[in-house]
Amino acid sequence: MIASRRLTFTGLLLTFQVLSFSPWLFAEGVKDPEKAIEVPLPESVQTDVSNIEFEAIVRVDVDVLSPNYRVPWNIGSTSSGNGTGFLVGENQFLTNAHVVSNAREIYIKKNSDPNPHKARVLHIAHDCDLALLEVEDPTPFLDVKPVKIGDIPKLNTTVIAVGYPIGGERISVTRGVVSRIDFRAYSHSSVDFHLAVQVDAAINPGNSGGPVLQNGKVVGVAFQGYSGAVAQNTGYMIPVPVIERFLKDVEDGHYDYYVDLAVQHMNLLNPAQRTALSLPNDGRGVMVSIADSSGSAGGILETGDVLLSIDGYDIASDGYVTIEDEQMNLNEIVERKFVGDTVKLAVQRDGQLREMDIELKRFIPYLIQSNQYDQKPQFVLFAGLQFQPIDRNMMEAHGINDLQARYAYAFFGSDELYKERPQIVVLTAVLPDEANTHLQDYPHQVIDEVNGVKVRTLQDVYDALYGNHHEEGKEDFHVIRCVGEGRPLVLERSKAEEAHERIMDKYNVSFDHYIEEPLILKAGVVKLPPLETEPAKKEKAEGSKNESPGSSKPKADGALEASAR
Amino acid sequence: MMLRSLSPTARRTFLAGLLATLPTFFATPGWSAQQQDPQGDPNAEEEVVVVSNAIEKPSQTDSLVRVNATLQAYNFIRPWEKGAPTPRRGLGVLLKGDRILVTAESVVNATYLELELPESGEKAPAVIVGRDYEANLALLAPAPGNEDFLKNKKPIEIDHTALPRETVEVWQVEDNGDGVSTETEVLRVSVGNYFVEGSVFLVYQLKGSLQSRANSFTLPIVKDNKLVGMLLSYSSKEQTSYILPAPIIEHFLADLEDGDYQGFPNLGIGYSQTLDEQLRRFTGLGDREGGIFIDEVTEDSSAGKAGLKQGDVILSIEGHAIDSRGNYEHPQWGKINFSHLVRGGAKVGDTVNLTVVRDGEEMELPVELMRKEPTEFLVDPYMFDRGPKYKIVGGLIFQELTVPYLQAWGSQWASRAPFKMVYAHANQGLYEKEGRRKLVFLSQVLRAPSTLGYENLGHIIVTKVNGKKINDIRDLAVAFQNPNAQGIHVIEFDEYPKKIFVDARLSGLVNQQLIQYGINQLDRLD
Repeated sequence: MIASRRLTFTGLLLTFQVLSFSPWLFAEGVKDPEKAIEVPLPESVQTDVSNIEFEAIVRVDVDVLSPNYRVPWNIGSTSSGNGTGFLVGENQFLTNAHVVSNAREIYIKKNSDPNPHKARVLHIAHDCDLALLEVEDPTPFLDVKPVKIGDIPKLNTTVIAVGYPIGGERISVTRGVVSRIDFRAYSHSSVDFHLAVQVDAAINPGNSGGPVLQNGKVVGVAFQGYSGAVAQNTGYMIPVPVIERFLKDVEDGHYDYYVDLAVQHMNLLNPAQRTALSLPNDGRGVMVSIADSSGSAGGILETGDVLLSIDGYDIASDGYVTIEDEQMNLNEIVERKFVGDTVKLAVQRDGQLREMDIELKRFIPYLIQSNQYDQKPQFVLFAGLQFQPIDRNMMEAHGINDLQARYAYAFFGSDELYKERPQIVVLTAVLPDEANTHLQDYPHQVIDEVNGVKVRTLQDVYDALYGNHHEEGKEDFHVIRCVGEGRPLVLERSKAEEAHERIMDKYNVSFDHYIEEPLILKAGVVKLPPLETEPAKKEKAEGSKNESPGSSKPKADGALEASAR
Repeated sequence: MMLRSLSPTARRTFLAGLLATLPTFFATPGWSAQQQDPQGDPNAEEEVVVVSNAIEKPSQTDSLVRVNATLQAYNFIRPWEKGAPTPRRGLGVLLKGDRILVTAESVVNATYLELELPESGEKAPAVIVGRDYEANLALLAPAPGNEDFLKNKKPIEIDHTALPRETVEVWQVEDNGDGVSTETEVLRVSVGNYFVEGSVFLVYQLKGSLQSRANSFTLPIVKDNKLVGMLLSYSSKEQTSYILPAPIIEHFLADLEDGDYQGFPNLGIGYSQTLDEQLRRFTGLGDREGGIFIDEVTEDSSAGKAGLKQGDVILSIEGHAIDSRGNYEHPQWGKINFSHLVRGGAKVGDTVNLTVVRDGEEMELPVELMRKEPTEFLVDPYMFDRGPKYKIVGGLIFQELTVPYLQAWGSQWASRAPFKMVYAHANQGLYEKEGRRKLVFLSQVLRAPSTLGYENLGHIIVTKVNGKKINDIRDLAVAFQNPNAQGIHVIEFDEYPKKIFVDARLSGLVNQQLIQYGINQLDRLD
């Protein structure tokens, strides 16, 4: 589901990089002895660990290659860390996506076996922080029984978390109770919200991806928590509905992501709202504020529609539905579905009740604010001018504070900027040279036009600079116009081309662009007409359209081969 | 301390609309020219400074009058409130006609003003007879009934001939009434920020250490017993001061004389330097020298009305050639930013002749100068002596966006204030195109029965109320007189949640409660 702009998530993801953490020490017996509130003893459940198959719970060691969004032609920086995983099926190990994101090498280790086993990612779901791994040689695990998957645990029942967190080498077991079941932000992507279960069992760096067990069955995957400085004893696990959805989604061999209604609603708690919308005072219904036009409900739901029920579940006026005696966000109904499924809505519009079937799909524009993993940074470098498309990684790497860029980043989805510009391109840096020395005070500008071509994608920037485009009467110049900036950035063609080679050499730039078709186009959210090209150069321009020109540069791809997965 | 010269790295100077901006170099902990903080303490003066080699001697005090002000700024976040009253003392000079000159900043948002004779400590209430916050000058007079108060004082004359490397004196008064004069040297003449954020005028920079006496907020600077300027700011670390010089004072006084104050004109442009040879060739400048590239022209400004266009290059103003950094050569002061040719050197109603290159062709462009009032902007750039416009409807607080509202987030407001509000301020043209005169937004929601469920809303721009388009707060007030047949107000926004409903009768009751609760005024529409 879409992250609301109004929510900020302050949770800190427990990373799996053990080395960078010093252990937190909690002395026994220092807790406040005066209990103000009588808490009933946890409901007794089987937490005996003797029947747990520890062999199925493995340590996942990972070498990571993090791409460099600041210097995008560089290979990136390497680091290593570890998390936990567990066998859920034949040669299928479940872990967190964040444990194996940007992984270069993955090794899996059994508790009883000193040998690491080389593994690879089968499926990775960054939107729900889960991944499935397989080992190259499954023989050492043939005798190991997979861990069984259970159900959503009840509040105040005991659970144990098993894994390989900091504080030692061998397997660790911690115990606690289920504290809360709620919809929460998943900080791995930073934009996705799903059901999450809060536990007070200690969950520390290295626990990530490990099972949380009750009665010998998995009731969750430990994945994130707060640092002790923010909140105490709050760890979170990914609950069974999310795990099962992921495992079911990949059964067909590929992961198709969460679907989304892409509706922002307003609760109907105010009596005036109910009167105005002709609703009885029965505590039911929420109002559609915005149905994103490119989302599942786009063109179907309208501002002012009242959603009364979803798949037969009554929607309360605070946006909750009751599923299996638990109050859950109405999106939980959509959460359990897949691409192409439908959801049935009872909608009141202009006083008339109607039923609507909505076919569900992924909502892509919101991904601009999502953390990117397993991607090569895209860029075009021309005469020292470095162009990159806006996404979260780029914004953070360059610390972009330009107002137009911030606007594009924050309102890309809600103001539907993607319809005109599926990628927002920013001049992220200028590598100083005599040819561009006066352009150095203009970084972080959003690019509007290049050589008369309105920039809709990074590919357009490439085509406009490398193709035969020019502003009328300005054949001798490359002209770059920025959004909200009257002064164009101009480079004389003769100087620019000469400078390009010189700058590549001087700044150790191994290749000058890497472009991929943006997901918004690939997924068909928006269709763009091809660039209008000069008749004489039509052939050339068409040849490069929507292809990654990087592929025609062997030097380029060779440099990044190591990170390809 | 951020003392920066007007360096050429200032790639772009923005004169769009009201004023021009240059790097802020008054953000010093000195005596004055603090940025106005609507929440802040305006009485933030610095304590005693160690004197190194200043030459001090007694001065005459015949034309000096202390000005004691009580200031009380409006609260832009809680618009029905004023902040805590704070005192501010300044040293004014007596001009002919029983008028006292001080910087406008020393009497900003004044609720009570009095004059005090340094020698005797005698006091009399005062009134403001003229003020210009952009030029940071105010003229006071004894309040009616105190006409004799200044009879033993001697008016001072004004001298605009001070030049770099000349010695001038800063006059101060001790607590006991003795005058003290400190010699300083005029270092250079340039343009710089005044009191209002973005307001750029002529300044003199002085070198010499000063000692704080009697917490005076502003001080006169004299040469041969004639007024050269008023102190704007002093940096104890750099031992330099900036002063508001006589040419601006004379302009202000001359403008006031006929009783119809016009203020200082401006062009209404944003520009870039043309040091970039490639840009020069691109714009077809050929062998011509200097010039500034026009980034932006405000439509209803002097330049806009005269037909100046984005992409033009101004080569000269009134025959003064402008170099590629945007300076012209003043015969006595040296290189000065061209803005002084308009902002100090000309009056509203004057016509200045620009030489412009457009598409490689040189042309003459006469520009009749005008001034845009702060109230004529979609977002008021400053607002003093009156409160922000607002209306409360059953706990929903609506306001017109102003820069002082944004400044409530502190000097870093551009990155700290609510993003959509900052964006709207920077893109006023987008909203003016929609026909808006002011930007009305829901600033916050007070928890009340009528606002149940809306508590977390805030900083969203209002588009319609009860079906009526909202172009300013008056439109809003009128629209709220007509709830729908069910007795419900429908309020629409340009983003989430798009639409809310409030009960008109319940809002009225809540309004009464808010008055009992202590909000004494539910709106301010003027």
